[in-house]
Amino acid sequence: MKDKKEILIIGSGISGLTCAIESAARGIHVTLVSPYPSERAQSVLAAGGINAVLHKKASEDSIECHISDTLKGGLNIAGKEAVRGLCEDAPQIIKWLEKIGTVFTREDGNVAQRAFGGQTYNRTCYCGASTGKQIVTALIMEARRYECMGLITRRNRTQFMSALIKDGRCYGAVVFDEASGSPEVITADAVVMATGGQNCLFGKTTGSKLNDGYAAGRLFMQGVDLKNLEFIQYHPTTIRTAQKKMLVSEAARGEGGRLYYKDGDRRVYFMEDKFGPKGNLMPRDVVSRCIYETGKQVYLDVSFLGREKIMKRIPEVYDLCMKYIGIDISRESIPIEPSVHFFMGGIAVNLKHQTNIEDLYAVGECASIYHGANRLGGNSLLAAVYSGKVAAAAIDDKAERREDVLFDEELNAATKALQEEAGGSLTAEDVRVKLASVMNANLGIVREDSELLKGIEVIDSLISECQGGLRGSSYERYTMISVLTLARAVLVCARERKESRGSQLRRDYPDTSEDYGCATIISYDGGDFSVTYDREGRYES
Amino acid sequence: MRVKILRKEAAGAPSFWQEFECEAKPNQTVAGLLEALNGEDELRDVNGTIVSRIDWECSCLQGMCGACAMVINGEPALACEVFLRDLKGDVVTVEPLRKFPVICDLRVDRSIIYENLREANAYIEEYEGSDPKEHDHQYAAGKCLKCGLCLEVCANYRKGEKFYGAAFANDCYLINTRSSLHKDEIRESYKEHFASGCSKALSCIDVCPMKIPTLASMAKLNRK
Repeated sequence: MKDKKEILIIGSGISGLTCAIESAARGIHVTLVSPYPSERAQSVLAAGGINAVLHKKASEDSIECHISDTLKGGLNIAGKEAVRGLCEDAPQIIKWLEKIGTVFTREDGNVAQRAFGGQTYNRTCYCGASTGKQIVTALIMEARRYECMGLITRRNRTQFMSALIKDGRCYGAVVFDEASGSPEVITADAVVMATGGQNCLFGKTTGSKLNDGYAAGRLFMQGVDLKNLEFIQYHPTTIRTAQKKMLVSEAARGEGGRLYYKDGDRRVYFMEDKFGPKGNLMPRDVVSRCIYETGKQVYLDVSFLGREKIMKRIPEVYDLCMKYIGIDISRESIPIEPSVHFFMGGIAVNLKHQTNIEDLYAVGECASIYHGANRLGGNSLLAAVYSGKVAAAAIDDKAERREDVLFDEELNAATKALQEEAGGSLTAEDVRVKLASVMNANLGIVREDSELLKGIEVIDSLISECQGGLRGSSYERYTMISVLTLARAVLVCARERKESRGSQLRRDYPDTSEDYGCATIISYDGGDFSVTYDREGRYES
Repeated sequence: MRVKILRKEAAGAPSFWQEFECEAKPNQTVAGLLEALNGEDELRDVNGTIVSRIDWECSCLQGMCGACAMVINGEPALACEVFLRDLKGDVVTVEPLRKFPVICDLRVDRSIIYENLREANAYIEEYEGSDPKEHDHQYAAGKCLKCGLCLEVCANYRKGEKFYGAAFANDCYLINTRSSLHKDEIRESYKEHFASGCSKALSCIDVCPMKIPTLASMAKLNRK
C-alpha cells in the first residue's frame, strides 16, 4: 500500500490548479497533466471578474441575494444546494486568492466590485480587465510551492486519451505522452477532469483553440453521464476579427456601456427601451436574444465614459479594439455580435463534484452544476476555484489508497489505436470544418426541430465517414469520433428539450414548460443515446 | 505572399527552409496565415510537393497566452499580434525561437523558464500584505506570459547558464514585495541569477508583449 494518496488531475487551468493546490495542502500527491503550461489555459482569457458578497458598509447585498440571482439567472434549473455552497464560500475564496497573490483592483482599501449582468448589487471583484490572468499567475506560483515540496508533479506535453474504468470505478487514465509519441498508463486513487469547455465543436469561439471537448466526449462513450449540453452561452458582445471572435468584457457594460442599433440617424437603445436603465446589464441569454431579434448590426458605446475612465477601468478593451479592428473606443462605438462563449453543460457531477463513476471527478467548465440554463458573468471564475476546492476536500475524505491495478490491455489497445494507418480521403481538418459549420448553422441562438434533426444526420454521416478512414495525425484520428459523438449528444439534448429556457431558445417551442424544469442527463450505451430529466435531483446530493 | 518557414521534423532532425505561396489579407496576422496554410486540404510547398502540416503552438489567438512566440522577419514576436499589413516586402520568414530547443517546426521547449523558477523557490508561501503603491506594478508583472520573448532577445541569456532573464526578475519582484518568508531569499536569487549578469540593454522591455516594466522591477529589487 502506498503512503500517500495519489491523484491525477487532467487540465491545469484555474480549476485544475486549485484542485492541485488544495489536494497538495492536504498531503495528497498530485500528477497534473496538460498539453501546455497553465499560462496557455483558457482561464487567462476570463476578463471581467469573480463574484462574491463582501459585506462592505453601505451595501445591502447578501449571500442569499447572490444565491437567488444565480438561480434566477440560470432559469431555476441549477442545483440549489450547489449554488448555496458556491455563494457562501465566495467571500473566503476572494480572501484566499488575495492571500496567494492575486492582484485585485482595490478602492478605498477594499477589493473593488463592479456591476455585472443579472446581479442586483455590484458584487463582481476584478483585477483590472484581466482577472483570469491574474488569478492564474497567483495559482501557478502557489502550485510551484507544492512542486518544490514534491507534492505536485507537472506533466506537460501530455494529453488525456481515456479513463481507466472497471466495474464502475475509475483507476487512472491512459495519456498520450508527446515526447515519446506513445500512450502511457497513469494509475491514481482518484482522477479529476479539469478540461474546460467544448469550444472546438463550434470552430472558433471566444475561447482557446485547445479546448476541443474530446475528454467529455470520450468519457461519455465510457459511460460517464453528461448534463445540460443544450445550454450554450452566446456572449452578447464579441467582435469579429480576421482570426477569431474576441470578447468585449461585460465590464464594458458594467462601467456603463450602452447597446444600440441605428434607425436612420437615430440610435435605438433597445435594451434600455425594453428593460429600463439597467437593460444593458440583463443576463447574457436575454441580451444575446434581444440582439438577435433586432436583426440589425448592434453597437456598444462606451465613448461617453471619456478616455481617462476607459484607460483606467477597461484598458484591455481599448487595446483589443484598437489592435484587432482599428477602433478607438473613446471616440467610436464597437460593432458587436453574440458568439459562443461558455458551456453551462458538461460532465454531470454531484455536490462533491463526483461523476457517476466512482473516484472520477470533474471541475471547472467541463463540469455542469452551478449555472443552469444560463451563467451569470463573474460566476465562472468563482465556480472554477470553488469546484477545485470541493473536489479536493471530497477526495481527501473519500478516496482510498489502493494497490496498483494492471491495465496492460487498455494500454495495448491505445497503442494499437494510435498505430492504425491513416486512410480514406477525409482529413481531420475537413471534419472539424464540417462539424463547426453544422453546429453553428443548426444549433444557433434560435433552434428548431428540423434543423436539429438535420444536424444529427450530418454528424451521423461524419461519424460513418470517419469510421471508414481518416487522415491526420494519429492523435487527431484517435480523438475525432469522440468529439463527433459529443456534438451529437449536444444536438440530441437540444432537440429533446421541447421548450425555451435561458440559452435554449426554440422557434417551435417558444414557451418555458414546467415539464422541463430540471436538468437534462444524457447517457451513452453502445451507440444508444438516452436522455432523462433529473426530476429527483439525484445530482443534488 | 511568399512564406518561408524554418522547419524541423523532430528534435534531433536537421532544420530546413520550406516555402509556401499564400493569399495575404492585410488584416490577417502571421498566426492567421499559419492557420490558413494548415487549413488547406493538402499543404503544398511552392514546388507543388505535398508536405506535412506546420507544427506551432497556439491557444488564445489574441496575445493573451504567449503560446505563439516565434521569430518573424528576424524579429521575435507573438504571431497573433503581427499583422501582414505591417510587414515590409512580399516575403515573410518565420522561424522558431532560437534560445530554446526546437520540438518540431515552430514549437519550442520553454520548460527551462519553469525549471529556473522552481530552482529558486519562487513562491510567496506567507503573504504579508501589499503596499498599495505597488499595486499597478504588481498588476503589470502579474501579466507575464512566460512566452520567452524576453529571453530570446537578451544578449546575456543562454539556456543552462546562471542568468535567468527578465521573466525571472519580474517574478522575483512579485515575491519580494509580498512574501514574509522568501523576501530575502528571492532577492539573493535575483542577485545571483539576474542582477549580476544583466548588462541593461533592456531589449527585454521593448519586446515584451505585455509591456511589463522590468526596469522598475529591477530598481525595486536593487534598492531594497
